[in-house]
Amino acid sequence: MFRPDTPLPTDIKTWAISQLHSKSPALGIKTKNSQIQEWPQSLQPNLEKRDAMFSLFKANRKKENEGLDGQETPKAKQENRRKNLMGETDELKFSHRNVYGEDQLKLRFTSFWANHFTTGNIHDNQNHIGHAIDEAILANLNGNFSQMLYKATSHPAMLVYLDNVWSAGENSLYTKRQKSQGRQAGLNDNLGRELLELHTVSPSAKYNENDIRNAAKVLAGWGVHTAFESKSELMKLGGTTNTWDFFKKDYAEPGGKVILGKTISAGKGGLKEMTNFLASHDHTIKYISSKLCQHFVSDKPSQADIDYVISKWKQSKGDLEQIHAAVIERAIQSKEPKFQWPMTWIFQVARLSDATFFHGWNELWTYDEKLMDNNRIFEEIGQGFWHTRQPNGYSSDKNEWVSGEMFERRIRFSDAIYTAGRPKVMSSEIMDRIGANEVTRKLVADSGSEKNKFIALMCSPELMGLENA
Amino acid sequence: MPKINLSRREFLKVSGASLFLAGLPLPGFTKDKPSGTISIIMLEGGMDGLTAVPPFGDPNLLRMREDLTSTNFLKLNSFFGLHPSFEYFAGLMAQNNASIVHATSFPYVLRSHFEGQNLMQGGGLSPFSETTGWLGRALDLAKTPGRSLSLDMPLILRGSKDNDNFYPASIKSSGKLMTQLINSISKAHSKNESTAFTKISKKSTQNEVNIPRDPASLAKFAGKAMAQDGGPLASVIKVDQFDTHARQGSEKNGHHGERLVIIDDIIAGLKEGLGEAWNRSIVLTLTEFGRTVAVNGSDGTDHGYGSAGLLAGGAITKSRVISQWPGLGKNEQFEQRDLMATIDYRSVCAACIENALGLDHDLIANKVFFTPKLPRVYDLIFS
Repeated sequence: MFRPDTPLPTDIKTWAISQLHSKSPALGIKTKNSQIQEWPQSLQPNLEKRDAMFSLFKANRKKENEGLDGQETPKAKQENRRKNLMGETDELKFSHRNVYGEDQLKLRFTSFWANHFTTGNIHDNQNHIGHAIDEAILANLNGNFSQMLYKATSHPAMLVYLDNVWSAGENSLYTKRQKSQGRQAGLNDNLGRELLELHTVSPSAKYNENDIRNAAKVLAGWGVHTAFESKSELMKLGGTTNTWDFFKKDYAEPGGKVILGKTISAGKGGLKEMTNFLASHDHTIKYISSKLCQHFVSDKPSQADIDYVISKWKQSKGDLEQIHAAVIERAIQSKEPKFQWPMTWIFQVARLSDATFFHGWNELWTYDEKLMDNNRIFEEIGQGFWHTRQPNGYSSDKNEWVSGEMFERRIRFSDAIYTAGRPKVMSSEIMDRIGANEVTRKLVADSGSEKNKFIALMCSPELMGLENA
Repeated sequence: MPKINLSRREFLKVSGASLFLAGLPLPGFTKDKPSGTISIIMLEGGMDGLTAVPPFGDPNLLRMREDLTSTNFLKLNSFFGLHPSFEYFAGLMAQNNASIVHATSFPYVLRSHFEGQNLMQGGGLSPFSETTGWLGRALDLAKTPGRSLSLDMPLILRGSKDNDNFYPASIKSSGKLMTQLINSISKAHSKNESTAFTKISKKSTQNEVNIPRDPASLAKFAGKAMAQDGGPLASVIKVDQFDTHARQGSEKNGHHGERLVIIDDIIAGLKEGLGEAWNRSIVLTLTEFGRTVAVNGSDGTDHGYGSAGLLAGGAITKSRVISQWPGLGKNEQFEQRDLMATIDYRSVCAACIENALGLDHDLIANKVFFTPKLPRVYDLIFS
């Protein structure tokens, strides 16, 4: 959707497809009264700094418990907490990008893929998730799917979330050493399983437990839980401090591994071989094309829609830009409404109305009488990428989301955005800009005060992506 | 107003459970209201039955998973123990108000969370075969569709379009809902969604309740609601993060032990909230599968098959561990890897429905689980 300050395109399809190339820095607001500006680099640190922040936080937490260095005082505790707001900062940046950015279309695809490659906040993963969304997903939207798959699979956010950092081949040097000392070590198949089931071929490929074990064996050795390792330890384990390309040779399973009939070589290069093979597998293409259509085109996409995306995927050999363009074409052609996720909807409402509903980045630690904390917003709306949640992510199926409670929240959020966010654009102007349909216009006209009109508009079938009466 | 800072652990607890209540009788049905209530605790990720209820009498247990077995379990009998996380549950067992079913599972062996959870909620013959849930179908058969309490509608409760949900919102800067506005929004939507909006307007007169969202408080809230005359007959509380592939731990403060404490807290909360209604209540846990017998490479366990189910409530009058123990020897395991399931957990669910909603077993077997020959285990649990 367009911000009020953006001129409307004459041809939506050309505009949308050209938007796939748009480049925008992370835009947002410093305080609720300030102008839209670029997010400062200091709030977007690299992985090394993120891990250092977390290690310090963890060390101070330990001191809190042990009563050392004055860390147990309420003031020191607060200060320690305030200095590790990376997860909250990333989550706010994601909201800002969605509301203020100039690359909306890419942000929509980013949400799709961030959900496809879900990395929830367990095992102290909060400082990694935002980095994965920006650098593994958004930064790879214009490349090949195989590259995104490789970068997402090998990102610390994924390797920590699905436990791979603790997995070692049964015949690895590490496992043998541990076992000879009577200690436990070996394979953990969590990521191997989800890589096949959720990220690539899906159960329709009819893989078996051996395929899963072998995928886990290829993955064994990848990743490290950096929050617990010093730099010298990292060098010793993986020969690098780059945790996004971190392979522990001692943990690797020797020998080739067969997955769905394909032999993958031993060693670090095996992962790339495996993700390349899976990325171009027929079942992956079918499964993800269908998922894309269900997310963007229609709640019940036609086989023709899915086949079209499959054909473009195959023709382009997995080029995401062409795949996304195909999805856009079908979405524009489709006469069916497409239900909008609660999170997509709330960004859209704030964006269309130019309301200030999200804190500025300087206000993360400030209590506001009227504005909700960013993470509370996601909790109330029942969806958020920083929640602890299951690796299958959020469903795009309308039926998972249609309920009285969910809808009550849409009304309440519309009210709150109007009341606290003080939209700069009237409902009538918004309707003109989006070319609202007759049902929406009638609903709004019958609703009385401007506030009621605003609520009615935002909860109309058109804005929620639902069918008219 | 001060800003509330939740510690990480509190935050995890808050986000670790969600509540659903269902089956508030519609007007006109109140006279036929069955006498019992049924509360489900859904454990997502796969609860480790061998950690929760260690079969210490099996010599293979300590041989295969010494690192995962508490040194501090309570002996229930000469064969089965109870994890120290279950302090409250242990007390209920002593009062003959709780039982355990062991080496049990829904009939699903492919070890995918999402297929397994779908089957455990849908109760169909294969994953993703049903668009309604077994509890929803049972409530429908008992002629008690109606208000349910939840944020979203979990599959297990779906069954009747008359089901509704309720979960108090806490959204700053939003005022009282206006019935007229809701009605006009509702009219603009097509039938299905329109119904959802109508349900908001029905409840818009209710007082705002701010319930704390930790599992024990949610459970107490659910219990209180069910205890009321004309209150819901069913509640579902979901607890996640049982999927302990790494550093599972053995004791109360371990990763799995912490989740078991939440189950214990929920059962305590339900009993407190239910008050006297506890006497006609049954509480049961569900999980999509158990975990591997052997420890994996990262001191955790991978997806398995058989697990244990916990039952509690005044409807139980004699505590026992119900099991046909399959053994933990390599050749006794399912596919030489998992605890075998010897009791179909659908039978346990059927017995609980029979007890709480007063439905006939054959009807449940046919219409709720689509399995006419589903064994009846009612007497094993409730006699």
